[in-house]
Amino acid sequence: MEMKDEVRIAAPRERVYAALNDPEVLKECIPGCEELTKVSDTELEAKVVLKVGPVKARFAGNVTLNPENPPEHFSLQGQGSGGAAGFAKGGADVVLEEDGEETILRYEAKADIGGKLAQLGNRLVQGTANKLAAQFFSNFAEKVGAPQPEHAAQEQA
Amino acid sequence: MNDMTPPTREERVEKLKGLGCSRKRVEDVRFTHGKGNYVDDIKLPGMLHGDFVRSPYAHARVKSIDASAALALKGVVAVLTAKDLEPLNLHWMPTLAGDKQMVLADGKVLFQGQEVAFVLAEDRYIAADAAELVEVEYEELPVVTDPFKALEPDAVELREDLHGQDSGVHGKRRHHNHIFLWEAGHKEATEQAISSAEVVAEEMVYYHRTHPCPLETCGSVASMDKVNGKLTVYGTFQAPHVVRTVASLLSGIEEHNIRVVSPDIGGGFGNKVGVYPGYVCSIVASIVTGRPVKWVEDRMENLMATAFARDYWMKGRISATKDGRITGLSCHVTADHGAFDACADPTKFPAGFFHIMTGSYDIPVAHVGVDGVYTNKAPGGVAYRCSFRVTEAAYFIERMIEVLAIELGMDAAELRAKNFIRKEQFPYHSALGWEYDSGDYHTAWEKALKAVDYEGLRREQAERVEAFRRGETRKLLGIGLTHFTEIVGAGPVKNCDILGMGMFDSCEIRIHPTGSAIARLGTISQGQGHATTFAQILASEIGLSADSITIEEGDTDTAPYGLGTYGSRSTPVAGAATAMAGRKIRAKAQMIAAYLLEVHDGDLEWDVDRFVVKGAPERFKTMKEIAYAAYNQAIPGVEPGLEAVSYYDPPNMTYPFGAYVCVMEIDVDTGTHEIRQFYALDDCGTRINPMIIEGQVHGGLTEALAIAMGQEIAYDEIGNVKTGTLMDFFLPTAWETPNYTTDFTETPSPHHPIGAKGVGESPNVGGVPAFSNAVHDAFRAFGLRQVHMPHDQWRIWKTAHDLGLHG
Repeated sequence: MEMKDEVRIAAPRERVYAALNDPEVLKECIPGCEELTKVSDTELEAKVVLKVGPVKARFAGNVTLNPENPPEHFSLQGQGSGGAAGFAKGGADVVLEEDGEETILRYEAKADIGGKLAQLGNRLVQGTANKLAAQFFSNFAEKVGAPQPEHAAQEQA
Repeated sequence: MNDMTPPTREERVEKLKGLGCSRKRVEDVRFTHGKGNYVDDIKLPGMLHGDFVRSPYAHARVKSIDASAALALKGVVAVLTAKDLEPLNLHWMPTLAGDKQMVLADGKVLFQGQEVAFVLAEDRYIAADAAELVEVEYEELPVVTDPFKALEPDAVELREDLHGQDSGVHGKRRHHNHIFLWEAGHKEATEQAISSAEVVAEEMVYYHRTHPCPLETCGSVASMDKVNGKLTVYGTFQAPHVVRTVASLLSGIEEHNIRVVSPDIGGGFGNKVGVYPGYVCSIVASIVTGRPVKWVEDRMENLMATAFARDYWMKGRISATKDGRITGLSCHVTADHGAFDACADPTKFPAGFFHIMTGSYDIPVAHVGVDGVYTNKAPGGVAYRCSFRVTEAAYFIERMIEVLAIELGMDAAELRAKNFIRKEQFPYHSALGWEYDSGDYHTAWEKALKAVDYEGLRREQAERVEAFRRGETRKLLGIGLTHFTEIVGAGPVKNCDILGMGMFDSCEIRIHPTGSAIARLGTISQGQGHATTFAQILASEIGLSADSITIEEGDTDTAPYGLGTYGSRSTPVAGAATAMAGRKIRAKAQMIAAYLLEVHDGDLEWDVDRFVVKGAPERFKTMKEIAYAAYNQAIPGVEPGLEAVSYYDPPNMTYPFGAYVCVMEIDVDTGTHEIRQFYALDDCGTRINPMIIEGQVHGGLTEALAIAMGQEIAYDEIGNVKTGTLMDFFLPTAWETPNYTTDFTETPSPHHPIGAKGVGESPNVGGVPAFSNAVHDAFRAFGLRQVHMPHDQWRIWKTAHDLGLHG
């Protein structure tokens, strides 16, 4: 399964980059995310509830970030297991491009999924993945994009 | 007075409803009233329910299994793993192909959907919920789903349990993922014929992996009675007696203490021949708990874990003279058997009867080699409505004929007719060792071509191609031809066995005093209508109306031992046993009649339903009278009663054949197809019930349509089953199913007691190449030689696209 898209975020690149590395922000933006813990600077552990058609499961997994060229480019690898529902593993390349005060985020993601999830047919899974990605970025753009003093204050705290 | 007039001979024949009568199916009364009794209808007091934890991975090590959360759920009784089965030596089980298979994952999993743990609970819902709570830790291993890659030197070793074993039950293994090489024919002579030929056509023909997908999935209910030591197993078994023997050998319970019952079966098509981990687990769980245990799989489990069919890569070469006489045929098959070799073929034939691949043609020399290969796919390799790889063979030869016709620039119908085995050549000895019993191919072929106005169709097709080239239409016309020869009725005990059991079959008849009867057979109907047709065979043999004869199958406590129903073997083998047992009844009846009429045995002759004194037609005893006499008086020298049993070991297979023509319209731009006409002529020897034959042909053709036009079990590179639900796995409905025209010729089998050959599988064997050839033929004018099935909309569109037909 492959996904490729770009999103415009109304925030400077540094802030977008920082937010992408902030477990609290990610936790709030990832649909169905119950837990997201930073194990080290580059490693995260996550618990996410996913629903694809009739399959609903809690996925436990880990994500490794590779900050190759901050704040322009980074990649990540991850894998998760949802027990009887199946498993997922994959990675993404993210490029952040400055456009005045805004940032264009381009991503290319590739994922392999297995188990019941995969058996439900690629069209359902791909559609759901696209929807989840769109939801994540819309959450993310909303959170990071608009000036949000309360949020900034929370971050400070 | 009218009612004093004795019935005429014709009326008496009609009353029997015997051979040739389109008698309505007696089974349908209960089915149409919703009164069928299937495995899932069986509910026993205190019954527990089992469900499997299955592997999401195609290849992985099982690091740990934690069932604590599942066991904590109210209503969960136990969770079985390989560790629990190991002390009983039941964590692995033998397959019908001489390999062994894990019952529950023993250290690793080898295909997606493999059984890892068996959860036992008070109801089916709790079992399913608990299965999701079992935590299994896996460590992924590299996955191989391509049999050619599996044989590469550095391919990952799948079967570590066979590590270092360079030979298996079918001979030498040349690679750690290699199962066997099986060969037939003369290699050197074939190479010689091909290398010196005027014309050679070479092609890779792939018959994709598919699945029988019966309406009812597989299941079993095991009930161990600990007080009297008896185990009863109800299940979806196409071969209940073999299951009893296997269950006895595996469990150590003596065979007389095991009763296996196949109740109504909702379609089998080969899917219910094998022995599945679910059967074993339900039996073990019942022995352990002392309570009945039911296991019934769901549709996804059925599609991804129980026996698949086909998956044969057939590399062929066929040679001929310039004027189209075939001189040689060679084939090498790479056979993808999945993770365990669980084919259900006779022991001596690991590639089944694939060497029927010379088909309907008189081919002087041929050679075939089949390499069996392990991959990370589900095990199986059963005959899906065909006898032991016969449909693969028929597809192969019927594609090679088409490819040869292209190479020769010849009409494919003419090429076939030129090479058919001629009527006077029967019994015909094929280059690969079979003795074809009877056939008249030219007559059938001419009848078929005439019925569809073949020449007219070809003219229309040529005009269509011209119109297409002029841009006046976007639809092409394909004419799919097939002349197939089947080999069914396995089989002679001298060379056919399953797990050492000879492939005979049986029938036991009891005539009741009032002139009705019960006959029990070693087979089991899954929709074939045995209760209807076997009664007809018997009616014609013993002169009692079919309506007065009960047919019973599937209970090993009452039925005589038989090898079951698959491979179109019921009529050729059990049908023969029925006729032979009927003849024993008749022989005894003749003695009784002679006594009653006070004549010598030899003075009597059989006439429909009675013995008549020769030359004195007014002196006779009907079968009904004789039956009564057998029970109500002492006859000197004759035992009371009227019963017989016959175990029939067929002297040969039977060879049904047929000529099919499919006329198909193909929309080049959308890839959709429309079947304008399908003509199916079947010759299955003596016809017992023409209505049932027609039904069988309709059903078989529809399954052939499914296979050729869309049905497949597809895997992705990491071993996911991509067609695990009916959303992706194509099952045709009335919407996709075309009209069929059925026809017949009748060439009896010379060695079968009533000349019948079997028909259940012919339409699938012949139908698949007919549909596929129609697709190929539509594009022949544009240079197409071979594309792989299934010909779904996308693939047809892609074919048109690749040929440059989209401008």
